[in-house]
Amino acid sequence: MMLSLLTIITGYWFDIRDLSNLSRKIEELIGDAGGPDWLIFVVSGLLGAIGIISFIGGVAVINIWVERRVVGRMQSRLGPNRLGPFGLLQPVADAIKLMQKEVLQPATASGLIFTLAPIMFTVPGIWLTAVLPWGRNMTLASLDSGVLFLLAASSLGALAVFMAGYSSNNKYALFGSMRVIAMLVSYEIPIVMALLGVVLFTGTMDLGGIVLFQEKYRVFMVMLQPLPFFIYFISVSAELNRTPADIAEAESEIVGGYHTEYSGMKFGLFYAAELINAVVVSAIISTLFLGGWWMYKLDELVPGWMIYIGKIYGVYFLFVWTRGTLPRFRIDQLLAFAWKWMTPMAILNLVLVAAEVLIWEESGWSAGLLLPAYIVINNALAVVTIYGFMTLLAPKFQRFPARLRFYPTIDVPSLPAVAAVDAAGGGPRAS
Amino acid sequence: MRPAAGPAHHDGEQSLIDDTGIVVAFYILAATTVVCALMVAFVRELIQAVLFLALTFVGVAGIYIVLSADFVAVVQVLIYAGAVAVLMTFAVMLTPAADRRNSETPFWGPALILSGLVLAVIVFVAYDTTWHLDKGRGAFPATAASLGEAFLKPYVVPFEVASVLLMTAMIGAIVLTKEDEGDADA
Amino acid sequence: MPIKSAPVEVNIGPQHPSTHGVFRMVAKIDGERIVDVKMVVGYLHRSMEKLAEERTYTQNIPFTDRMDYLAAMAGNLGYCLSVEKLAGVEVPERAQYLRVIFNELQRIASHCMATGTFINDCGAWQTPVMYCLRDREKVLDLFEMTCGARLTTNYMRIGGVAFDIPEEFLPALDHLVNDDLPYRFEEYDQLLVGNEIIMMRARDVGVVTPEMAINASLSGPMLRSAGIAWDIRKADPYCVYDRMKFDIPVGYNGDAYDRMIIRIEEMKQSLRIIRQAVHDLPDGPHKTDVPLALRPPAGESYARVESPKGELGFYVVSDGGPAPYRWHVRAPSLINLSVLKEMTVGKTIADAIVTLGSIDINVGELDR
Repeated sequence: MMLSLLTIITGYWFDIRDLSNLSRKIEELIGDAGGPDWLIFVVSGLLGAIGIISFIGGVAVINIWVERRVVGRMQSRLGPNRLGPFGLLQPVADAIKLMQKEVLQPATASGLIFTLAPIMFTVPGIWLTAVLPWGRNMTLASLDSGVLFLLAASSLGALAVFMAGYSSNNKYALFGSMRVIAMLVSYEIPIVMALLGVVLFTGTMDLGGIVLFQEKYRVFMVMLQPLPFFIYFISVSAELNRTPADIAEAESEIVGGYHTEYSGMKFGLFYAAELINAVVVSAIISTLFLGGWWMYKLDELVPGWMIYIGKIYGVYFLFVWTRGTLPRFRIDQLLAFAWKWMTPMAILNLVLVAAEVLIWEESGWSAGLLLPAYIVINNALAVVTIYGFMTLLAPKFQRFPARLRFYPTIDVPSLPAVAAVDAAGGGPRAS
Repeated sequence: MRPAAGPAHHDGEQSLIDDTGIVVAFYILAATTVVCALMVAFVRELIQAVLFLALTFVGVAGIYIVLSADFVAVVQVLIYAGAVAVLMTFAVMLTPAADRRNSETPFWGPALILSGLVLAVIVFVAYDTTWHLDKGRGAFPATAASLGEAFLKPYVVPFEVASVLLMTAMIGAIVLTKEDEGDADA
Repeated sequence: MPIKSAPVEVNIGPQHPSTHGVFRMVAKIDGERIVDVKMVVGYLHRSMEKLAEERTYTQNIPFTDRMDYLAAMAGNLGYCLSVEKLAGVEVPERAQYLRVIFNELQRIASHCMATGTFINDCGAWQTPVMYCLRDREKVLDLFEMTCGARLTTNYMRIGGVAFDIPEEFLPALDHLVNDDLPYRFEEYDQLLVGNEIIMMRARDVGVVTPEMAINASLSGPMLRSAGIAWDIRKADPYCVYDRMKFDIPVGYNGDAYDRMIIRIEEMKQSLRIIRQAVHDLPDGPHKTDVPLALRPPAGESYARVESPKGELGFYVVSDGGPAPYRWHVRAPSLINLSVLKEMTVGKTIADAIVTLGSIDINVGELDR
């Protein structure tokens, strides 16, 4: 609608499928008017940033509703349905409630760090949205090392969590943040190696380039690399502190973990940051594994960014699904899982991918011949690896299911004194 | 403001480094980095010092981006701000609370002189070197690819030696913290 | 070089989402391992045993509701059995069958709640709780139909039950027991019993050895999970349990997982008992007439029932007056909790929470 308004006003035709032509038009205008080069960058950057941040802000609000409603339906109850039709105004109510709450800060908490921690937790998530390819030419910052940027921004989250837990001056909060840092640091390695498999295959770290690779060879990366998808999905659930790995905010154990002492909008920021991070991670999975804005020529009919947002919400639904279903692991089980299962699987996958890429480069066989073969091999090996790990590493009790004995009658042992009384014919058992 | 006027400076051509945006960005980032680095030395609480150090690292990453070394910038954030800073916070957390102040020390005089000398050396070297300036707005060179090639062709031996060193450090850390029952805390 | 670390004392509770009521554990932890556990009880002490000395025997029955408020029928039943033993009151057949039916329904409700909250402690973000509570709601609907209250039922009287069942009770019970609950319990089997994460969280956690169980006089699912086959309904039958055919499930390991599956199996066995009781339900009076201010002869009696939590015993001493001279409740929660220290020392806090959930305490009867 905005674009049609712009069309009417300016007389140029803006194609909704590629929003970058808006910024190119602005470039032309400013360039023709003789403005300095940096002004073009600033203006188009600002436009893109405003668009993306408003989308992310909307997402943070909508996802509150999505999560609660979907989890409610999974628990055979309705979820929020009082405020607005279908409870759609629930996030608004939540936001207003958080904003008008008194911001209680414990007197012994260090003020600056206490305030800075939620900000430092939210901001890297928003940074990550800059490198996502929303369409064919629609990346705000087309970095050559896009994938590394993703990893760098997520590693800053660990520091923010520690700051939050430490500055609260609260034993429970400190527990929570120590657990979180151990987990975040352990799960960074499988994440890096899983993404490295994808990067090796596509030959570029640029996220737009990865989508173009998938478009060029008409294949979703998830078909070519199922094991990294599996590893990345699980490891990033742990990084996001979502169940089954939400030991950091285990409500039933340490009440709140690192955000126990936060109230009001600071807690709101933590909550919003978790949702934003979840959406950004879903976006990363859609880009790297599910083809991003490309969908077998569908993007000529439907704008690419709509397909992309659809995929984001599909993956987000997977996250909400696992959260509503699974119990949580203990911290040592989680760490064992990261080091003993995820990391070896990721290394195995890396070796395999390197071999495959080498064969591809050196032998000169065409992609049409090799890629289907790779799909079959990779999938088979993923199944074999997971199955092998399960049988070899799983705790023994999983192979022997629980058994109970059933007793229709029981022997009641009788004490000697009672036996004597019974023999003499008295006592309560005598009828 | 023009950067260092060395003997090989090309003047008369509008080079990238003179762009107003870049100059402004450089000064902001440089000011932030220097201020944070000074705060590291001057704040009282050790935890705050470590956090300012993390901010310094991020500032340096920003300067790398100004120089269009995107790979190095991202790796700087990933490793320094993401891992080294966390390591230092753990180290600070394990010190007893009484030792956790940046207290007065009689060494501030010699330290000032030493850092002044280091600063003088760096400034002299910066003025004396012939810097190659980028002419015009070309495409970003692919830093990751060229670094990779450098690691695996001319510099492969130092690369492997560094890997072995890191592995030794990891094994040493595990051996040092291994308890009798074989479980180490977070 | 060893790093010196001092143990930290952490208060778990009394306000805590997962201590099943106002119960406080003071845990001394070293890193993540628990070194020592001290239990502080008494936050819900309402001195019911003293208050009962001022009231007649019939007026004391609502107290028994509120002790173990999740198993009110069992409390009522135990107290009425004890007073009936003292006073020598005969209970008609119909009342006994009705007592059995409601006791077993209460066992289903209480075990649903116990299983649900146990898995909540394991961390499953309230989804299994919702499923379990949904089934409990159906049982509570039946209670409301009969005696007007869901939780504090006050249904048993000395000499029988308070009200006869309405006409819509038996068809509703029939529908529940035959068409509804068996499929729900199958769902529990599929979702919960085979769930690997619950197995990893609950296996070898909170282990009770048979010697520990007998020495500490544990009862209920805790005793049966250790491998000892003992159920008051079989060992010392009351009401008409000696005519019912049912099995008691007994575990092997003594850990929290065994207790969870024992509770689910007991719910299935309860369905069996209810079906038999409904089939054999005779007609007749639902209560013998006892005077309002019953004066049993002086003496003492002890009667015990198998409540969902364990052996619930009532020791009543009478001096011939209308009010009991002294009344003491053997609360299974308190006795089962006495082994908490042995079960949790050396494990982590998460395990301690899971253990506490699996003991299935109810602070109402813990503190009375």
